[in-house]
Amino acid sequence: MRVRISKLVNFAIVAVCVAGVMHSASTATAQSSTGKKKVLQLPIRTDGPKRLDPAQGSTTYDNMAIVQMYETLLINKYTNPLEIEPLLLAEMPTTEDDGKTWHFKLKDGVVFYNPHKENLFGGSKTRPLTTDDVFYSLKRLADKKNQLKNWWLLENTIVGFDEYKETQNESAYFDYDAPVSGFRKISDSEFEIELVKPVYRFLYILSMFQTSIVPREAVEAFGDDFSFKPVGTGPFTLDTWVPKISLTLNRNPHYHDVRYPARDDWSRDDRRLRMHRAAGEQVPFVDRIEFTMFIEDQPMWLTFSQNDIAYTEVPAEYFEKAFDKRTRELRSELANRGVRSHSNMLLDFIFRHFNMEDPILGMYEEDGSYSEKHRAFRQAICYAVDLDEFNETFYNGLNVVYDGPIPPGLDGFPSERPESSSRGLDLVKARQKLVEAGFTVVNGKATDAPTIDFYTSRGGNNQEQTEMLERQLAEIGISINKNLVDFSTLIEFVDNKKAQFFGFAWSSDYPDAENNLALFYGPNESPGSNHGNYKRPEYDAMYQNIITMPPSSERTEIYVTMRDMILEDAPYVGSMARERFYLINPWALNFKPTERYWSWFKFVDVDDSLR
Amino acid sequence: MWSYIIRRLLYNIPVYLGILLLVMLALRVNDPVTAYQGKNATAEQKEQLRKDMGLDRPFLVQYGTFVSRVVTLNFKDRSWEEKRPIGQMIRAAVPPTIMITVPQLFLTASISIVIGLVCSFYRGRLPDKSLMFAAVLGMSISYLVYIMMGQYYGAYVLGGKGITPFEVEGYEPIFSFEPNAPEKASFFMPGNWMKYCALPVLIGVIVGMGYDTRFYRAVMVEECTRDYITTARAKGATNRKIMFVHMLKNAMIPIITRIMISLPFLIAGSILAEYYFNIPGMGRLLINSINSKDFPVVQYVTALFAAVVIFTVILTDVLYAVVDPRVRLS
Repeated sequence: MRVRISKLVNFAIVAVCVAGVMHSASTATAQSSTGKKKVLQLPIRTDGPKRLDPAQGSTTYDNMAIVQMYETLLINKYTNPLEIEPLLLAEMPTTEDDGKTWHFKLKDGVVFYNPHKENLFGGSKTRPLTTDDVFYSLKRLADKKNQLKNWWLLENTIVGFDEYKETQNESAYFDYDAPVSGFRKISDSEFEIELVKPVYRFLYILSMFQTSIVPREAVEAFGDDFSFKPVGTGPFTLDTWVPKISLTLNRNPHYHDVRYPARDDWSRDDRRLRMHRAAGEQVPFVDRIEFTMFIEDQPMWLTFSQNDIAYTEVPAEYFEKAFDKRTRELRSELANRGVRSHSNMLLDFIFRHFNMEDPILGMYEEDGSYSEKHRAFRQAICYAVDLDEFNETFYNGLNVVYDGPIPPGLDGFPSERPESSSRGLDLVKARQKLVEAGFTVVNGKATDAPTIDFYTSRGGNNQEQTEMLERQLAEIGISINKNLVDFSTLIEFVDNKKAQFFGFAWSSDYPDAENNLALFYGPNESPGSNHGNYKRPEYDAMYQNIITMPPSSERTEIYVTMRDMILEDAPYVGSMARERFYLINPWALNFKPTERYWSWFKFVDVDDSLR
Repeated sequence: MWSYIIRRLLYNIPVYLGILLLVMLALRVNDPVTAYQGKNATAEQKEQLRKDMGLDRPFLVQYGTFVSRVVTLNFKDRSWEEKRPIGQMIRAAVPPTIMITVPQLFLTASISIVIGLVCSFYRGRLPDKSLMFAAVLGMSISYLVYIMMGQYYGAYVLGGKGITPFEVEGYEPIFSFEPNAPEKASFFMPGNWMKYCALPVLIGVIVGMGYDTRFYRAVMVEECTRDYITTARAKGATNRKIMFVHMLKNAMIPIITRIMISLPFLIAGSILAEYYFNIPGMGRLLINSINSKDFPVVQYVTALFAAVVIFTVILTDVLYAVVDPRVRLS
């Protein structure tokens, strides 16, 4: 009897295993043979979004998920992500007073679609978008219940809005119906917003995902669960979300009239890649999007290699598997499979900043006069640092080393090295500058230069990078005290103006060099974004001028002048920007990756016959 | 036996309350709100979170609330990071972990015990030395290397050729209770276990076997020298009967101890496997919560873990009495 039972158990185990294998084989067959629904599988190279509420989102990954379901008034163009165009608006906003007051007209036919079982819209599944929704969504950024994470976008921007925020957050109940004098409703589809002062970047802010428009009924009905039950106007709706694992979206059957960009909007290079093939067609093309979160790179790479996701970023350690390092050409085994590659320059500004209020390195002497000696000292340091060596050693030579604070791709980026640049490596000039700074140079090294305190955050290869910096500066006799601290401590030192020399990086919030030039605007000094406390009156005056200017050649000229002013004063050692490489599987059509915005998946199509 | 269990449970109540107190104190040594929001958060933002989470109330009130919620299994507090009820997060994370750790524990223990028995039988000879060499080799290689190799060869290379059904990563439930998802309507899907769990389990077994085999071999070798083995041989018992009946029965105390020690870790899950195979289990939940300083989740998961450890200790004592009549529960 015992023997029989053990045999039965053994048989059962084998049967379950066989059934498992057969089941997986059968499901695989079933999936491949369906082909009715178009499914776009996409990776998210991290643990994904934290929340799906625009007012509370802050990361790129929140953005990536949220914009599939919610939409903003304006949006970046798929054909050129550095430009913006209307999305929920019928036309671009207009102004008659040089950007102080903006007039908006909402697009017809835009509805919120509620895919959930709860009744939100009086028995209907949809409700048209109105002016009130726009004001309500912007007011949510002022409500401390939403953690005020994104309040900085609209702070000191709209007339009466800061006062409204203070008043409402101090009272027991945040009244969304209380008026804001800068919000003026003309009709359900037209409104005006008056700004405190003309600021051109306001339009970019209205293209950022945090300003997406949400329906009040859903927020109030779902409360804390609103993040898990999105109700938007976007091209997709939420199916399932397993935080940190996967996110599945279905096509929104009530999506408004959005067309694929016209043929002429595409560049010649893009047309050569047949990016215009779907010109004029209604989007989205796919029925379903399946995001998978990949915390580790290997699973993402292997999943891409198995043809199971549309594209992958190329992690640094896989670069040589994808490309010939010297020629940067795609490897033949991938090209033969039909895989395409694409690369984008990120709007990065990686640099090492001097504290311009420091008595040794700062911009001014104690009596307030401009210090030529201090500038020469800073320039000596700049000439002694070899950014190309950093690039080769730590970034496989893939970064772009450039001059000034304006990253590649933006107006004002220098096509060649400006004369005012002090970029190294040039040890001869570095030593000359040391002499100009008043130091004694013997055998190529300063004998009396002070030791500089350098701060950077722990983690990554910052320890090794700091050691390289130390070695390079030692070539001209400058020594540094290395302080590797956690990021919050670094911020604390910088905000309190205690860090003499520190490593920092900035990623542009929107594709306009004004965002980077603001890092050197005097009134933004620490604890503001001008962490180096650079102050130059003529620069500040120019900055005041450009924030009201729309893009033009005149504005670009001013950008160049400001950039060169900064280079002349050498308030930092830099600059560097990363380039991101992507591989795209042949079955993903109309695919042009960009990280400037993330709502372009609606333009992507799939061809299952190419899988 | 039941009176013993109830008595032990009662004795452990103050111990558990002490653990909860320590957990709460430990998480409040540094301000959890500052740790979570970072030093760039405004005083207003910090104050708001403190108020929202009840951290502005006296410590004893917070402690009382926490204890009452744990005791009544009311895990409705929300995660700071995900804004979801913690109970919901734990409920979602336990099944994937169980799908990996239970088969892994069962297989590792069974195979290791058998190998331990075989090694003790052939001790000092080639089979023993070979198996021990393999065990040491197995445990000498990093778990991470196994994962990398398993993903690459087991799932990508062999899976691509149709030899294995393993997926590189991911997780699908084996039991489906989703009326809103007709495409997932099948109730029992063992294929999902093969696809998503078998490879992590296999890797876990290979790694775990090294440690367990050495331990069980030592236990069995000691049993081999006992008088009852000589008696059994003298009575003409077969080697198989000696090993699998007499020796195994008498070695149950250390075996149970070893297995029971592992039980709480079934709940904690296998952090590395869950990370690399993208499995939404308890290990990932815990490590993600620690990384993101999601203090309410850490607090509840730690409380749960402590409860499991206490129950395991009591269960171990009871099992001793079950397998060894000489042990008296008093």
